[in-house]
Amino acid sequence: MTLYERFIAAFVTSDRWKLYISGLGITLEIAVFAGILGIIIGTILALMKLTTTEDGKPTIASHIATIYIDVIRGTPSVLQLLIMWFIIMASSNNGILVASLSFGINSGAYVSEIVRAGIMAVDKGQMEAGRSLGLSKGTTMRYIVLPQAIKNIIPPLGNEFITLIKETAIVGYVSLTDLTRVANQIASRTYDAFMPLIGAAVIYFVIIKLLIIFLGYLERRMRRSDIR
Amino acid sequence: MISVKNLCKEFKNTDGTVTQVLKGINYEINKGEKIVIVGPSGSGKSTFLRCLNMMERPTSGQIIFDGVDITDHKVNINKVRERMGMVFQNFNLFNNLTVMQNIILAPVKLGIITEAQAREKAKELLERVNLLDKADVYPASLSGGQKQRIAIVRSLCMNPEVMLFDEPTSALDPEMVGEVLDVMKKLADEGMTMVVVTHEMGFAKEVATKVLFVDEGNILEENTPKEFFENPQSKRLQDFLSKVL
Repeated sequence: MTLYERFIAAFVTSDRWKLYISGLGITLEIAVFAGILGIIIGTILALMKLTTTEDGKPTIASHIATIYIDVIRGTPSVLQLLIMWFIIMASSNNGILVASLSFGINSGAYVSEIVRAGIMAVDKGQMEAGRSLGLSKGTTMRYIVLPQAIKNIIPPLGNEFITLIKETAIVGYVSLTDLTRVANQIASRTYDAFMPLIGAAVIYFVIIKLLIIFLGYLERRMRRSDIR
Repeated sequence: MISVKNLCKEFKNTDGTVTQVLKGINYEINKGEKIVIVGPSGSGKSTFLRCLNMMERPTSGQIIFDGVDITDHKVNINKVRERMGMVFQNFNLFNNLTVMQNIILAPVKLGIITEAQAREKAKELLERVNLLDKADVYPASLSGGQKQRIAIVRSLCMNPEVMLFDEPTSALDPEMVGEVLDVMKKLADEGMTMVVVTHEMGFAKEVATKVLFVDEGNILEENTPKEFFENPQSKRLQDFLSKVL
C-alpha cells in the first residue's frame, strides 16, 4: 500500500474522519468541564488551606483541604476514574459526566497547590496595607491579593490544563470513545497503526499549541500594571 | 487618646525558644501629640508601633483607644483601623491598582464616602503632595518618594484620627527622604496626632512633642526633643546618640 492509500484508509474510507472529530469532541468536553471544575475546587481548597487561627495555627478547614490534596495526589488518576465509574457513580449512564467529575476532582488538588503558591508569592505587605486601612481579610484578598496572584497562577495553570487534556486519554479504560480510543479502534480495523496514531498525535499537538498561544496572550495582558 | 498598659509581646522562635520583644510598656499618647520613637534595630520599636493598631497581637497588656480596649477579641478591629492610618517602610501600595484606585478603594468599599466624593478628596490630597498628574498610573512607574507620599495620601483619605509611621523613609534613596519628611511636617503642623518610628533625628528634633528611646523592649527614656538630644540621661542613650548624630 502506498502512503496515500494508507492515509485514505485511516481518514477517508467510510467517513472515518468523523470518528476522529467525535472523539476529539469527547476529549475536549471532558477536559473543559474538568478544567472548570478543577479551578473552582482548587481555589476553594487553596483558600481553605491558607486559613489560620488568630495565633497562626492551621484551622480544621485547612486540615480537611490538606487531606483531600494528599489523597488525590497520592493515588493514580486511572484508579480514581475506575473507582468513580464502577463504585461511586456506577448507577449513572452519563459517561462523560462521570469522567469529567473524576478529572475535575483530580485536577482540583493540583490546581489548589498552584493557587496557594500564587497567593503566597504576593508580598505580605499587600495584605497588611489592606488590613491597616480597615478592610477585612476577605475584601483585601478579593480586590488586592487574588488579582495579583492570578499573574503568578496563569503559567503553571496552563501547564495543568495541558496535562489534563492529554490525561483524558485514559477514559478508554472505561470505554468512552475519546480521540485516543478512536485512533486505536481504527488502527485495529485497518491493520495499520501508523496513520491513525500519528494522526491523533498531530491533533492533540495542534489543540495544545493553540492553548499555549492563547495562554501567552493572556499572560501578556495580565502584565499591564507592571509596565514602568 | 491611646493608652498603652503593660504591653508585652513574645515571639516563638522556630527552635521553640521564646523571644521577649516588648517587656511591659506603659505609655500615654494624647491628641495632637507627635511622638517620635528611636532606638537601635531589634529594640522592639516597630513591634510597639504595630501593636498600636493590632497588626501584631500583643501577648499581654492593654491598648485603650478612645476608652475601648482594642486588644479585646470582641472589638471589631477593622472599625478601629479605619480611624488609625498606617504608613509602612516598604510603601505597600496596591500593585494591581492605579494611584487613584489605591486611594479610594478603602473609603469606598467600606461605605464611608461615595466614589465621587472619594475621587474629589483624593484629587485634593494628591494636589497637596504635588502628585495629581500621577493619579492614573500604576505604582510600578513611581519613584520611592512618590510611592510613600501616595501611601500617606491613601491613609489620609480615610480621615484618620491618628497616623502611625513605621520607618517611612528607611527604604528611600537619600535624595527622596526630604520630600516625604516635608509631607509629614505639613501634616504635623495641621495638628494630626502622629506616632513615628524613624532614624531621622532631624525630624525628631524639629517636629516631635516627645521623643522616646526604646531599647530591649522597654522605653528607656522619654523627653522633649530639646532635653532628649541635649541632655540624655542614661548611658545607653548617650551611646546611641553618639553613634547616630
